[in-house]
Amino acid sequence: MSDQSPRNRGRSRAAAAAVAGALAITLAACSGGSGGAGGGAAPAGEKAYSVGVTTYFLSHFLPGKVTGSNVDYALFTPLTRVDAATGKAVNAVAESIESDDNKVWTIKIKQGWTFHNGEPVTAQSFADSWNATAYGPNAYTNNYMFANFKGYADLNPADGKPEAKTLSGVEVTDPDTLKVTLDKPLALLPYVLAQSAFAPVPKAALTDADAFDRKPVGNGPYQMEGEGVVTGATKVSLKRFAKYAGTPGDAERIEVKSYQDEGAAYRDLQAGNVDVTLVTGNNLTSASTQFKDRLVQAPFPALMYLGFPLWDERFADIRVRQAFSYAVDRQTIVKSLLRGFGQPATGLAGATVPGGGTSDCSACAYDPVKAKALLAEAGGWKGPLKLWTYQDPLNTVILEAIGNQLRTNLGIEAVTTQAQPVDQLYPNMAAKKIDGPVLLYMGAGYPHLYALADQLFTKTSASNITGYDDKEFASLLGRAASAGPDEAIGFTQEATGHALGDLPLAPLFWPVGGLAHSAKIGGVRPEFLGGVALASVTVG
Amino acid sequence: MGGYIVRRLLMAVPVLFGTTFIIYLAVYALPGDPIQSLAGPNQVVSPSVAQAMRERYHLDEPLLIRYGLYLRGLLGGDLGVSFSGRPVSEIIAASWPVTFQLGLTAWLFTAVIGVPLGALAGVRRGRAADLLVLAGTTFLMGVPFFVVAYVAQIVLGVNLGWLPVSGTEAGWPLAYVLPGLVLALYGLPQVTRLTRTSVLDNLGADHVDTAIAKGLPRRTVVLRHVVRNSLVPVVSLLGVSLGYLLSGTVLIEGIFNLPGLGYQIFVAVPQHDGPVVVGVGTLLVIVFLLVNLMVDLLYGILDPRIRLD
Repeated sequence: MSDQSPRNRGRSRAAAAAVAGALAITLAACSGGSGGAGGGAAPAGEKAYSVGVTTYFLSHFLPGKVTGSNVDYALFTPLTRVDAATGKAVNAVAESIESDDNKVWTIKIKQGWTFHNGEPVTAQSFADSWNATAYGPNAYTNNYMFANFKGYADLNPADGKPEAKTLSGVEVTDPDTLKVTLDKPLALLPYVLAQSAFAPVPKAALTDADAFDRKPVGNGPYQMEGEGVVTGATKVSLKRFAKYAGTPGDAERIEVKSYQDEGAAYRDLQAGNVDVTLVTGNNLTSASTQFKDRLVQAPFPALMYLGFPLWDERFADIRVRQAFSYAVDRQTIVKSLLRGFGQPATGLAGATVPGGGTSDCSACAYDPVKAKALLAEAGGWKGPLKLWTYQDPLNTVILEAIGNQLRTNLGIEAVTTQAQPVDQLYPNMAAKKIDGPVLLYMGAGYPHLYALADQLFTKTSASNITGYDDKEFASLLGRAASAGPDEAIGFTQEATGHALGDLPLAPLFWPVGGLAHSAKIGGVRPEFLGGVALASVTVG
Repeated sequence: MGGYIVRRLLMAVPVLFGTTFIIYLAVYALPGDPIQSLAGPNQVVSPSVAQAMRERYHLDEPLLIRYGLYLRGLLGGDLGVSFSGRPVSEIIAASWPVTFQLGLTAWLFTAVIGVPLGALAGVRRGRAADLLVLAGTTFLMGVPFFVVAYVAQIVLGVNLGWLPVSGTEAGWPLAYVLPGLVLALYGLPQVTRLTRTSVLDNLGADHVDTAIAKGLPRRTVVLRHVVRNSLVPVVSLLGVSLGYLLSGTVLIEGIFNLPGLGYQIFVAVPQHDGPVVVGVGTLLVIVFLLVNLMVDLLYGILDPRIRLD
């Protein structure tokens, strides 16, 4: 082996040199490429900041597919927005939204709004956007939000291709006026219209929807720069829109960086590479000690609850459901597991949700003695108990805690827990294959108690997983839908109170997230659905 | 040698078909509904949209027909479209450079650190340095590398601020040092130990005794006659580990937020995004096959006694 001939020695050296050389060249080429794409530091003196979001929020920007993130609200301004201070829907692009019967609505649009490409925003811009989303074969995920619009069924037939291409309930009567007709009255339409799924689109979105989905041309305070969302890129750059007709943002530029989970974004915030990000779950503990007053509470318009399988006869007796609810110590869960980032539920929705903040869930109090008595009255518990939830690290811990409390307070011996992926759990619930209470999260589709009540308790709602079906509730909620906006709240609360009296689910707590930010920026406040409101951030 | 290469490439064809089929079956056999996961948690999919989606991605056809349709597209150079609407070829084009840079960085670390360490341990057999290397590599083999990844991120990135915590913004090499190092730890123990063993074998070889007897300086003996000859098996291990490194990037790219091929799989699997998983997975298989071929060719060059035809 030692005696290599000079010829061989030369050959192997040449080979080694060639390999090394090739490596050097390819590496240099690669680094040059990514350096070019990753560049673009802000010029000196420019007001700029960066925000971390999860990859999911940068996946789609066509209003028909948007995810409802804070980035959407920077890019689009819909007809209305929900005022964070008062919780009321106020007009944005809309001049007025009026109706006599909450069924046929006349919407006037303000003059002077333009898209980022200069095209004016007209009534047709809204109609185009809504029709495209409502058209079933387009397969836009926000399609379901239009189910109450007249003509929806024609665009989404049970089988075959639809004949119609536009919603008969959306008419453009003149360039500034829309006439919207609903199937069923809904007093809260102005709240519904605040969602980015109801944003307008310019003509370009109709000719090339895929291109628009990556680089949207909206009417919001910020416009997307460069190529938009490039496959494989982990950031997008937003530039302030000079001709924005609403209140402009302070920052001239916003870098939106995407992370595969909130934990990764938080680590980058800790290292000083990003200015603000949403913090949830276990990271809240470390964030509250490290960021102190630079951690802003962001209450989610949502509810964590324990849903009972009403089809399971073991839960048919209301006293059993009450016993379960009384046996859960919400205060302790919020304090020790959520580190205070949450509020023990006393009703369906927290005070930040219009109509919420009521204490109409009497069984939400912690009363182990009463719990035990109620269960005994109902004949006690026989056999094992299984608790379910979807896969999420924090959920698993909370479910374990609930299991322990039920074991201790109700004397149920064999309590087990199971977490399933979302895409298995929901179909299983729909098929009534779940044999125990389920710990779930439900966010209000739009900022109103009505939305939560409707999603959780209306028989036909896809997210009514308990199978609750009650005439009294339906008629009360129906009255809320056809009442004026002010009476609507009262009727909704009455309907909610009635449903909570039946206790198809036990409200547990209202989740709260945190927005941690660097010292460089101020004015950090949450958008309705949780992320930081990008346009209200101030720099310096 | 040309004939050998052609034969090897032909052998790769059935392997490729087999792997695409297995990956395809595995992805679609996952429990759960892809349409539901596409809509995300807490979201409703209207029946008409679900139907349109199923038709678009042929989810309403039997599995074998779907696989056939996929293969037909594949032969025409069409890798399909991801559930989120992006062509898979575009996703691959955008993400392979990241994985390639990460894999090579890790591989360089493995070679540059592993070989000298192993050689040192071999030459100083039984002494402190040797014991330290043995203990260290045993420790590394025992620690799951995502633990190392998080610790490295928090200590070197967050607390000390020496290196970027995540992302590719800093470019090569800076952005790839931390993930590259962590990934390198995966192959490092094997390379170090193999080098050590191989050096030990050679130390006792006749030609080394001869060299020592001729009065050559120890340094020359070790470097020229021992280490150099010990590298033949190490090179083949390094080659194979390059393949493993590329596929081992799934977890590392997820943790370090590097938008490479592994990251795409990391995101696509929970979403049941079959086209992406199959496309990227197949690509990794191809790379693995090619790297192995290259190793075999290199082997022939390093050790002339090995004939390849």
